[in-house]
Amino acid sequence: MTTAPVDSQAACFAALTGIRVVEFGPYVALPLTGRILGSLGAEVIKVETNKVLDEMAFIPAWSRGAGQPEYQRGKRRITLDVRTDAGRDLMLEMARISDVFMTNFRRNVLDRWGIDFPEIRRQRPDAIIMWQTGLGGHGPYYTYKSFGILVQHLSGVSLMTGLPDEPPGVVNTSYSDYHTGVFQPAGIIAALMRRNLTGKTATLESSIFKSGVATCGPALLDYQVNGRGPQRRGNRDAWAAPHGVYPCAGEDRYIAISIVDDEQWTKFRQAMDDPAWAAAPEYETRIGRQRNHDALDAAISDWTRPQDSAQLMNTLQAAGVPAGIVSQGQDLHDSAHLQSRNFYQDTQYWEAERDVKATEWTEGESVSWSIPARMSGTPIAFGKYSNIGEDNAYVFGDLLGLTNEEIAELEAAGVIY
Amino acid sequence: MPRFDDYTGENLIPPYRILDLTDRRAAFCARLLADYGADVVKVEPPGGDPSRRLGPYPADSPNTERSLDFMFYNTNKLSITLDLDSESGRALFRRLAADADVIIESYDRHYLYDRGIGFDALRADNPGLIMASVTPFGCTGEWADYRGDDLVVMAASGYMQITGEPDEPPVRQGNEHSHYPAAQYAAVGILAALYHRDFGDGTGQHIDVSSQEALITYYTDAHPALLWRKLGQNVTRVGTNSTLVIPLGAYPCKDGWIAAGVITPREWDSLAEWIHEVTGNDEVLSETYRGGNQDRAEHIDIITALFLEFAENFTVQELFHEGQRRNLVFLPVNEVADLLADPQLAESGFWYDIEHDDPAVGTVKYPLGIFHSEEVQARRHPAPILGADNAAVYQGELGLTADELAALKAGGVI
Repeated sequence: MTTAPVDSQAACFAALTGIRVVEFGPYVALPLTGRILGSLGAEVIKVETNKVLDEMAFIPAWSRGAGQPEYQRGKRRITLDVRTDAGRDLMLEMARISDVFMTNFRRNVLDRWGIDFPEIRRQRPDAIIMWQTGLGGHGPYYTYKSFGILVQHLSGVSLMTGLPDEPPGVVNTSYSDYHTGVFQPAGIIAALMRRNLTGKTATLESSIFKSGVATCGPALLDYQVNGRGPQRRGNRDAWAAPHGVYPCAGEDRYIAISIVDDEQWTKFRQAMDDPAWAAAPEYETRIGRQRNHDALDAAISDWTRPQDSAQLMNTLQAAGVPAGIVSQGQDLHDSAHLQSRNFYQDTQYWEAERDVKATEWTEGESVSWSIPARMSGTPIAFGKYSNIGEDNAYVFGDLLGLTNEEIAELEAAGVIY
Repeated sequence: MPRFDDYTGENLIPPYRILDLTDRRAAFCARLLADYGADVVKVEPPGGDPSRRLGPYPADSPNTERSLDFMFYNTNKLSITLDLDSESGRALFRRLAADADVIIESYDRHYLYDRGIGFDALRADNPGLIMASVTPFGCTGEWADYRGDDLVVMAASGYMQITGEPDEPPVRQGNEHSHYPAAQYAAVGILAALYHRDFGDGTGQHIDVSSQEALITYYTDAHPALLWRKLGQNVTRVGTNSTLVIPLGAYPCKDGWIAAGVITPREWDSLAEWIHEVTGNDEVLSETYRGGNQDRAEHIDIITALFLEFAENFTVQELFHEGQRRNLVFLPVNEVADLLADPQLAESGFWYDIEHDDPAVGTVKYPLGIFHSEEVQARRHPAPILGADNAAVYQGELGLTADELAALKAGGVI
């Protein structure tokens, strides 16, 4: 594992230098948007509102926070209780000095706190507003609750995954949260360009639900044109054969192999040292291999089963056959390929404790990925991981111009905590 | 600052000229930019983009103008044909690139360089040029020349390792999910680079996006590298029902599946009371099961059984709305048909109709992407027919004569 910085070009200025963003909301998607904007050079100020901590401060549960740098690094983090009048006023002050205001609270919650978008616009007429919700800010479900891992069911993806006689196929993560988190910076940057060119601003409404459905793919058209629901084919594919995962030596080890045409099939046969079974006429064409896929899978599995998956991947790739190990955590952590690209970097984290002030949390050592868009001309900042409230003095003092005495009074009143 | 004579902000993205040299690995990137206003020209080989020869097709009848796959990934783009293997084709490409803002490509990393039209060569004529390359494993590193499609990238990223049932092999997510993360990150990178060029220092740059890396970031909850470093464990598949949040997953009911998740103690109390109302079973109210997920973890089997007995009394829609009324995260497990009929999506301005001239396709709803705004419009044009814009681009923009165009056609260049 390397600690070489991705921001080695820190001398030149970052793409979004000069842009200030207020981020107001917990969980995965919105904080990821903030992290991406921050890594591109925007100054992102994360406002944490109530005395109830974001549950995400504790993820993964076994580490109490080692996963948090992924969502929070590269931001200024301040504490503010927006349920107080003074807190709400400070929030509006923050909006006044910022280009972008983004939040993921539902309308009824924002209303309760007296934070509304027209007021933000009065404070800052050219503010770009990004309003993200789970199911939609308007419409019949606007008060409904959701969370990311279940949105793969809601958005139609789980019934495309697996086989028809199995339960809906699921990836064990907050699925569409990530789609939303990466869609949103695109919308925000575009809105900033549009503002600079036309003087016009925009409020963009996004939802986790829509993000999931937007990425359903051609199945959306197939149903409308052919009246056909998505085919659940496991790892099979109409356009490639063989196409699947095959067992290798070791526990829960597999290699994926995808052969799209007869030329690749020939290369694959050569890589297998041309066994007699592979010369069977039924395997000569892709259609033939499709028709006999079960027998083909069994024969390939017999060949892969005793082999080391990583070596086999190298052998097949060297022969021009698309193949990849099904990576486990160790493979990713130790990957020479990913290390040479500085993909994972060492970082610190704060071990969260309930009922203990964040300033007293213990610092630990963790690992974090870098934004997977390598820019040759502008730095991607890896970014410091501030603790909750660590940047109060900078934001309230340096940016908003409050005196130390005024900040102390707000702290005493529980507005800043 | 760029000059766009006609841009008044109707679309979110100014009409930047983007040359799209992608296959399905990154076609969604160019589509996203085109849907929101960019002027995207898909540069296809004379035989057409390979995805035109991928189904599904209307009535399963193959036709390069009717691939639903191509239609989905290429809305709002123009199409020109150009043979990059011919010298005259490359000369035309250099002229197009000299006036382009962005090139998006997903060839292997040597393809354009071998033809003398790599980023460095093109930038010599256009210092503001931005190029994004989306490849399976990135443009550098020891796997840079490795091949990968959706299945291989889903495997190598580890995404498959946590998808599917625990006692079965890893399974691919059925929406070809690996095509989206890299495309989305490329779009972010391109827009940031344009912002920097036009409102910063005026220069272009190259953006390297690895589909493997992008997909790794899309399951950060599980964070396999972190789990390995801290605990020496590997993440694996847990099936439809989570073992961390209890209950959480998809459960059969009268007419389909309901997805449900209970996290807070309050939510559990609300669910237990409802189950009791319906089944009369007192056991569900037991103190044993109250509290947070940790308190229920060892009782997962009995809780799942109680939930199944309860859920079978209802339809999906009954559980969804009554569950939400009771402050529970209940959501339907939808099929495509349900999505097209969903009232929330309809009211969010999510779908838009495209009327295809081809009666075999007809009027079809497309997803508008995720941003809804009263202040900007998305564009609503169908994917182009092959070479539809050859005359407009080669004659109208590059100033070729009709005879020259005809000669290029005859020579197989376009």
